[in-house]
Amino acid sequence: MGSFLKKDLLIFWRDRKEVLIALLLPIVLIVVLNTALSGMFSKDGDSIDIQVGIVEEDQALEGFEQFAESLNNLGIDEAEKEAILSQASSINPSEMLNSFFNNPEIKQVLTTRVVSEAEALELVEEGELHAFVIIPEEFTYKVLSSIILGEEVDVALSIQAEEQSTELSTLQNMMNDFIESINLEFALGSIAEGENQEPKLPQGGIEVIEGVETFSFTQYITIAMSTLFALFMAQTLAVKTVTEKRERVFNRIILTGSNPFHYLMGKTLSTFILSWLQIMFTITITQLLFDVFPDKSLEFWLGLLLVITAFALTVAGLTALFTSITLNVTDTNAASGILTLVIMSIAVVGGNFTPIQILPTFLQRIGEWTPNGMSLTVLLEWIQLSNPGNLVIPIVILLGYFLVFLVLGMAIFPGRGRN
Amino acid sequence: MLETIKLSKTFKEKKAVDEIDMYLDEGESVGLLGPNGAGKSTTISMISSLLKPSSGDVKLNGLSTIKNPSEIRKVLGVVPQEIALYEELSAYENLKFFGKIYKVKKDILEERIQEVLEMVGLKERQKELVKTFSGGMKRRVNIAAALLHKPKILILDEPTVGIDPQSRNHILETVKKLNEETGMTILYTSHYMEEVEQLCNRVYIMDHGRVVASGSKQELLSILSTEDTIQVQLSKKSDALLEAIKGMAAVRQVEDTNHGIRVISKKGSNILADLVHAAENVGTQITHFQMEDPSLEDVFLHLTGKTLRD
Ligand SMILES: Nc1ncnc2c1ncn2[C@@H]1O[C@H](COP(=O)(O)OP(=O)(O)O)[C@@H](O)[C@H]1O
Ligand SMILES: [Mg+2]
Repeated sequence: MGSFLKKDLLIFWRDRKEVLIALLLPIVLIVVLNTALSGMFSKDGDSIDIQVGIVEEDQALEGFEQFAESLNNLGIDEAEKEAILSQASSINPSEMLNSFFNNPEIKQVLTTRVVSEAEALELVEEGELHAFVIIPEEFTYKVLSSIILGEEVDVALSIQAEEQSTELSTLQNMMNDFIESINLEFALGSIAEGENQEPKLPQGGIEVIEGVETFSFTQYITIAMSTLFALFMAQTLAVKTVTEKRERVFNRIILTGSNPFHYLMGKTLSTFILSWLQIMFTITITQLLFDVFPDKSLEFWLGLLLVITAFALTVAGLTALFTSITLNVTDTNAASGILTLVIMSIAVVGGNFTPIQILPTFLQRIGEWTPNGMSLTVLLEWIQLSNPGNLVIPIVILLGYFLVFLVLGMAIFPGRGRN
Repeated sequence: MLETIKLSKTFKEKKAVDEIDMYLDEGESVGLLGPNGAGKSTTISMISSLLKPSSGDVKLNGLSTIKNPSEIRKVLGVVPQEIALYEELSAYENLKFFGKIYKVKKDILEERIQEVLEMVGLKERQKELVKTFSGGMKRRVNIAAALLHKPKILILDEPTVGIDPQSRNHILETVKKLNEETGMTILYTSHYMEEVEQLCNRVYIMDHGRVVASGSKQELLSILSTEDTIQVQLSKKSDALLEAIKGMAAVRQVEDTNHGIRVISKKGSNILADLVHAAENVGTQITHFQMEDPSLEDVFLHLTGKTLRD
């Protein structure tokens, strides 16, 4: 089997054009698509229109009264109390939020409407709203207590949404910026007043209920392209079988009386090695170029490695199956044509060309079950959630595919050359 | 040591090989001669276990090889009609790969590779990629690859098609040497009569999937012992003369050749006087004539009504 593996690797290596295509084309495509399309994506800010519901559970006036009352219990003199109250009215947290939402720049991308929580939930579900922000009860009171009196309070604005989307993450970023700027403002303000405490908005600040992190376009395109080209690798190596058959080398191999499974395993193993190296090379280079996956843990990279290894095995299994099919049919050109068709189809429905979400639902269902679609989905999920539990089932399924393809390939492997 | 018994192959409707009986004795050099499409390659594929016969059997030392082809694969070296090599690999790398999968022992493989390269005269160029070789050189590597495991029987399927005379001579000499010096049994397929005449003790002539004649050269020539071949040169060619000669009762075949005409007639019919007359009648003259020894080519023409290069 070693002889077969060596031969297959050597033949691949001799075809410099193929080696260059396999190594450079995915990277070139990632660079080009990334430059061309990510610009488009970020300019999307103009055209984006985020529909946000505001659920006002806070009552500003009552909050002030409650705050004033709490001052009474502190036992401070009237003059000081007056000063604090006037400072408080100048802060007015819900007013600040209001003016933030009504800022003309913000209004270009955000459309807000005040709704009840029940309404908000319904609208989000119907897709009328991308998300809603809850201003919780006692927001005014608690924020004032925290900022002015430095008390520990438990309060947070929360954003709720049905599912992760670009709109949601944009909203989230904007709110974060808002909170940060306020924190800064108070920090400066308190320094100006010569006070030594650093007022802060309540701990927690903003809390997003779903989908904390999302994947970037660069990340998507990196994974989509590297898995796509691994599929092409399966094709390249299976087509070499067509050549071996056409040029009768395969007949000569049969005449040597060598075990046919060694031939098939050579093909399988060389495909595995080459597609694995190819994906790793693509990801490593794009990581170095763009820092595609910034600040990721060792655990993240290990997970990535596991999924890629399982996927490369599946690709190798696919090659084994196609090799056997090619050796069985008379019309090898038709065989390689069908192979191309199959590869392109699973690449499309698996989401290697466009995110799977834009496909019709039934195609999405199929796409999720293709080896490439499954790997892509699980890797994008891994980028966002980093939950090791999510890796197990897809990896097992990918290994299952590998075994099924390999066993099928062995089962139909022909014992003679010509039929 | 090797025989075929009513070996047949039908592709769809077409009978490519039709009940062929052949045998090869140890140390023999046997020719398989026939025009393109006669069924030579199909026969060889069945003998070498690449193709399952539709009916009939192939026996090695009396044992059928159809069910269990591993024995015959061991003793057989097959040089296919096509170049069965990896173009992307060098001659050496090809031989190394095939040697390894032929399970030639590691410690002697290197030596063996150099030996076969020497035989086909490509030792100096072993490091070059096969795709850079000329047709003749590729054919020689193609032969070398079939010799690695020291086969007892070597089958060559038209190993000299479309190559330069030098490579061709080299190949013919190599095959002759293998047969005479190492006692290797040879089955040599060709549609070149002179190659088979030069190399083989015995010949099978195939046409339309059937063996139409077989035997030693002498035996085959005796088929023609009832005929005379007369080569005639004329001062001027004439179609009318051809027609006139064809009309003669003793004449079996007339052929237009480069130098004049060739007449095949019943033995001893003594038609020379008639030929001279006929020539005069159409206004031309016989400048020269010669009684010819028949060649295998003539035997073939006699048997199939066509020349080998049709
Ligand atoms: N795989 C095949 N399928 C159908 N017909 C075939 C096949 N192989 C050979 N033939 C036919 O069988 C006949 C004999 O072919 P072949 O054995 O290659 O002849 P030769 O080697 O003497 O030139 C030809 O008519 C050819 O077209
Ligand atoms: Mg042939």
